[in-house]
Amino acid sequence: MEGKNNIYNDNKFNIRNMMNKGILSSFFSALVAVFLGLIIGFFVMLIALPANALIGFRHIIVGGLNRIGDVFYYATPILMTGLSVGFANKMGLFNIGASGQYTMGMYFALYVAFMWDLPDSIHWIVACLAGFVGGMIWGAIPGIFKAFLNVNEVITSIMFNYIGMYLVDMLIQGNSAMYVSDKTRTQYIPAEVQMPSLGIPNSNVNLGIILAILIGILLYIVLQKTIFGYELKATGFNRFASEYAGMKGKRNIIITMAIAGGLSGLGGAFGILAPSGIAGSSMTYEPINIIAPAGFNGIAVALLGNSHPIGIIFSAIFISYIQRGGTLASLAGYKPEIIDIVIAVIIYFSAFANIMNTAILGFIVRHFGKGRKSGNTLANDDIKEAE
Amino acid sequence: MKKLVSITLVMVLLAISLTGCGGADGNQSSSESYEIVLITDKGNIDDKSFNQGSWEGVVEFATKEGISHHYIKPEEASDAGYLAAIDLAVQGGAKVIVTPGFLFEVPIFEAQSKYPDVKFILLDGAPHDPDYTDFTIKENVASIMYAEEQSGYLAGYAAVMDGMTKLGFMGGMAVPAVQAFGYGYLQGAEDAAKELGLPDGSIEVIYHYTGNFEENDTNKATARTMYQEGVEVIFACGGSVGKSVMSAASEAGAKVIGVDVDQRYDSETVITSATKGLAASVIQVLESIYKTDSWDQYGGKTTYFNAANDGVGLPTEVIGDENADAFDRFEQFTREQYEEIYAKLVDGTITPIRSIEVADPSGYATAEELTEGLNLVKVKVTTR
Amino acid sequence: MGEYIIEMLNITKIFPGIVANDNITLKLKKGEIHALLGENGAGKSTLMSILFGLYQPDSGEIRKNGKVVQINNPNDANDLGIGMVHQHFKLVDIFTVLENIILGVEPNRMGFIQKEEARKKVVELSEKYGLKVDPDAYVEDITVGMQQRVEILKMLYRDNEILIFDEPTAVLTPQEIRELLQIMKGFAKEGKSILFISHKLNEIMEVADRCTVLRKGKCIGTVNVKDTTKEELSRMMVGRDISFKVDKKERKPGDVVLSVKNLNVVSKTHGKNLVKDVSFDVRAGEIVCLAGIDGNGQREIVNAITGLEKPTSGTIILCGHDITKASIRERSIRGISHIPEDRHKHGLVLDYKLEENLVLQRYWQREFQNRGFIKFDSVRKYAEKLIDKFDIRSGQGPITITRSMSGGNQQKAIIAREIDKDHELLIAVQPTRGLDVGAIEYIHKQLISRRDAGKAVLLVSLELDEVMDISDRILVIYEGEIVGELDPKTTTVEELGLYMSGAKRDNVKEINDGREE
Repeated sequence: MEGKNNIYNDNKFNIRNMMNKGILSSFFSALVAVFLGLIIGFFVMLIALPANALIGFRHIIVGGLNRIGDVFYYATPILMTGLSVGFANKMGLFNIGASGQYTMGMYFALYVAFMWDLPDSIHWIVACLAGFVGGMIWGAIPGIFKAFLNVNEVITSIMFNYIGMYLVDMLIQGNSAMYVSDKTRTQYIPAEVQMPSLGIPNSNVNLGIILAILIGILLYIVLQKTIFGYELKATGFNRFASEYAGMKGKRNIIITMAIAGGLSGLGGAFGILAPSGIAGSSMTYEPINIIAPAGFNGIAVALLGNSHPIGIIFSAIFISYIQRGGTLASLAGYKPEIIDIVIAVIIYFSAFANIMNTAILGFIVRHFGKGRKSGNTLANDDIKEAE
Repeated sequence: MKKLVSITLVMVLLAISLTGCGGADGNQSSSESYEIVLITDKGNIDDKSFNQGSWEGVVEFATKEGISHHYIKPEEASDAGYLAAIDLAVQGGAKVIVTPGFLFEVPIFEAQSKYPDVKFILLDGAPHDPDYTDFTIKENVASIMYAEEQSGYLAGYAAVMDGMTKLGFMGGMAVPAVQAFGYGYLQGAEDAAKELGLPDGSIEVIYHYTGNFEENDTNKATARTMYQEGVEVIFACGGSVGKSVMSAASEAGAKVIGVDVDQRYDSETVITSATKGLAASVIQVLESIYKTDSWDQYGGKTTYFNAANDGVGLPTEVIGDENADAFDRFEQFTREQYEEIYAKLVDGTITPIRSIEVADPSGYATAEELTEGLNLVKVKVTTR
Repeated sequence: MGEYIIEMLNITKIFPGIVANDNITLKLKKGEIHALLGENGAGKSTLMSILFGLYQPDSGEIRKNGKVVQINNPNDANDLGIGMVHQHFKLVDIFTVLENIILGVEPNRMGFIQKEEARKKVVELSEKYGLKVDPDAYVEDITVGMQQRVEILKMLYRDNEILIFDEPTAVLTPQEIRELLQIMKGFAKEGKSILFISHKLNEIMEVADRCTVLRKGKCIGTVNVKDTTKEELSRMMVGRDISFKVDKKERKPGDVVLSVKNLNVVSKTHGKNLVKDVSFDVRAGEIVCLAGIDGNGQREIVNAITGLEKPTSGTIILCGHDITKASIRERSIRGISHIPEDRHKHGLVLDYKLEENLVLQRYWQREFQNRGFIKFDSVRKYAEKLIDKFDIRSGQGPITITRSMSGGNQQKAIIAREIDKDHELLIAVQPTRGLDVGAIEYIHKQLISRRDAGKAVLLVSLELDEVMDISDRILVIYEGEIVGELDPKTTTVEELGLYMSGAKRDNVKEINDGREE
């Protein structure tokens, strides 16, 4: 026994140490969660269309590899909304209004694209910035309500999804320079205002993904290295302690929500300003009273990424990857609805990573009898104060 | 950082499973092939409208003939997204691709050159380039349009001939098809009033666009208000908007006119439907490919489906009952009257106006524009 | 070996960076009160958590009546007749006392709870052991002492025969402590076996039969209490001699640092005045103690001074500046240091690293930031300095996650932070709550060193010994009013107790007014 103890304490790279640091358990849990999701997804496919399940499943797992451009292209908007939700979450705020902010961002970007006459070289940049501002406004308002009137941001931001969507639909339908009523969509955006493409054939992947990843890294730096990040996380972890330390909670709530909104808005701008594979065409906005799904997908992305900016970058790419492969499963005869279910199951189980963490450790404890019980999941004060 | 590590490892796992599966499955990349493929637009396959109607046609024909068929949902509702779905369908072995709706005009324009060996059936639209400068329809594309104004005309005519004087119209969004239905509806009401010798302004019509194609509470409330104001029948002309209207009608004990397909089976309140033969036209074109070998009849041009070729009309048969009267929900209007007026549409005696000038960018016409443009005298129209 | 009901043999438990229990053997006789003594971090709670099934030992075994048993979770423990009263009670606030007691073991017939049956048993038990409770009161409405009785009844209701008490006296008033100790003796007489975790030597001397002493995870020994002395036990616990007398020199108070005038605080929840017209001064170089039973307005006074709560009326003056409306940050800059009552709720961000917590009041200063970026090397250096100076122990030094540290070291971190920061006034609210003698001695020394350095100290405490030992002046608070000003040198604990319980009061207003003139 003594010898064993020494091994545990001395060797930096042994399993127990890694588990203690959370690396191994986190790796294991994500792995097992995804794996379990894939297995159950496979069973769904097996039930739906048994003969083609293997082929279809292979498309889901590896199909994305042949469509790397699209993987990154479709990851862009959900990465931005994921960062938005995750960033607010770091402060203990649940930004469920990413959809509304996203839509506002699209509108502001479209407005600049159509209504402002700017030099080609900066037009798209200004349109993106406008999108950021639009989202910021739409995020800041729930923040202000939260800070000064203590109105729960979940309620306000949900309502702002609807307000934003109807407002944008109304504004667009009333503007003949932007709207083509025959087609129930906006005009094609001039090529000069579209985001520069990365030139990968058969894909619209553009500079947006690179900017989005850079923004994710920037957020990581803000959260880890700055006073603002320090205050923000402190407030998220323990509101009372941050108040005790004299942090300006109200101001920080508004700033956080504004930034979160801006991120979603920028996502909207990246989405709508994406280049089209067809010359002369573009992305279009259809004012058909539908709330942008990118906002809600952002919640899944943020949760899967544990609200960590770098984690979110990977989770957005992962989700996009699985979805791209999923689309190919229709080659095996799967109906789009079945594919959606399979993908939802996979993502759903992947989000179980934290539970897996506990389950795996519990398994190890039971079978090897001397593993560390997953103390880090029990939020129990007198257990924490392990003497 | 630990998430980074973990997800990277997951990616590695996925890569490993790639090689693993590849070895196990061997060369199966071709999968199965589907000969007739429908690509949905932004709506779902059960939208009670274009997607559903044309899919029903595909299923009916392909099942009968034993041809493999399938539908695909695009990843993104954009021109590029639709084109990508077409690419995917072709990759899956499609020989005939059915695309319902005008949203496919630009993507089909691209695809017709990209895939000269694939036949495209484009419903409710004609291919053109993004700049509206090139309207070339290649030999492999059949562009199908419908004379919605005739169908709407019949509905309006029937309602007034049945004795109703307060009518409602609830369109989805002001796209050409919906506008044509509405304009035809007003003209049909006008002509029926003239025929009955009613005084000027004796027929009141409330004309409204909902701005969406959804079933929702707002739409239901709008319909309920109309019924409370005395409207006897509402022509619900916008996909799922119809469900909201039917629900309001059954509460108010009032009537509804359905659209696109015969909706009498959805609700007792539906007295008739202004149909266009989505399924029928798809079947006709498919027959020209597979049975009669007469693709030339449709390929390379735009074909209008109207009264003359049975492409539009009110339903005359009840499914599952040959002896039933499809006009049984009218009080006075009969099948004979219908056939009389239908004949006039067929022979061209009556040609309803399909489009008028509308100033508003949203495409919502004002009451004046409607009255002027459609020469309404007996009908007094108000918009909201 | 029939005389032992529970034997924990050679228990070893390792946590990251620390061996919490190192080959510990503990044997509990039937019908005895067995004290478990040790400083914070000595491994007492871990050992008891193992017995209660919350942790699994890395090695060693547990026997009941000589038979080896496996305790995987608290349910197993309960099945073996082992019950535990935790330091932090595990009660559902919005349930009644009765509902809490039967929670999880509700007597039922076809799914319907038979409350009357349960009530009968609870009333019987409470009468038998003198545990006065109102079965129909809601837990949120009853006192801490009564909540503890509910916890005890929970164990009795489940027919537990081995009762673990984890620092049960920490939250009680002197009267309640006396009652509890009597009750424990009663249990022992009934044949129940008691494990009593404590670091209060007086209590152990009073009730325990035997005492096992732990130090830094190791078992120092088990002694018969009647054969030993307080001094002996404390030496075993700490490993050196402890002075129970606080060493304090005479010192003349200087200028007024804090002046509170006519302070009123009205409760937001029920609109009653929690603080009624309170006025007092704290001078440089003196320790003023606000003594009183918990919940008599101390918290509100402190919150008003520190800015956590807005007073309804009154003024607060710090070093000549009116800070009644100042922000929390401004008060901090002007010289208030605050050791909060609840170190988990207010004092620390538990998920932050130790070093991040050590700069919680100073991170925005030039020393630690440059254009909004935190200077982590400065933070690290500063943290290392404080850790060294204040002897803060943790698994991984500055980068230890604060949550994983022991309570005493968490408190040390707060004290280090608040004392090292520039300050004129130190407000310490129950700074020694839940800490062991070693830590208490240390904290008392720190408070006195502040006083000797010419700072004003406002101490809020419930512990009578502490109040008497270290304060220069005692203000007794009762129901939101200051009912007496006492000099610890000329008063007795008994008299202080009378003031605290509201049995005696002076017209303090007159005293204050008189002095001001």
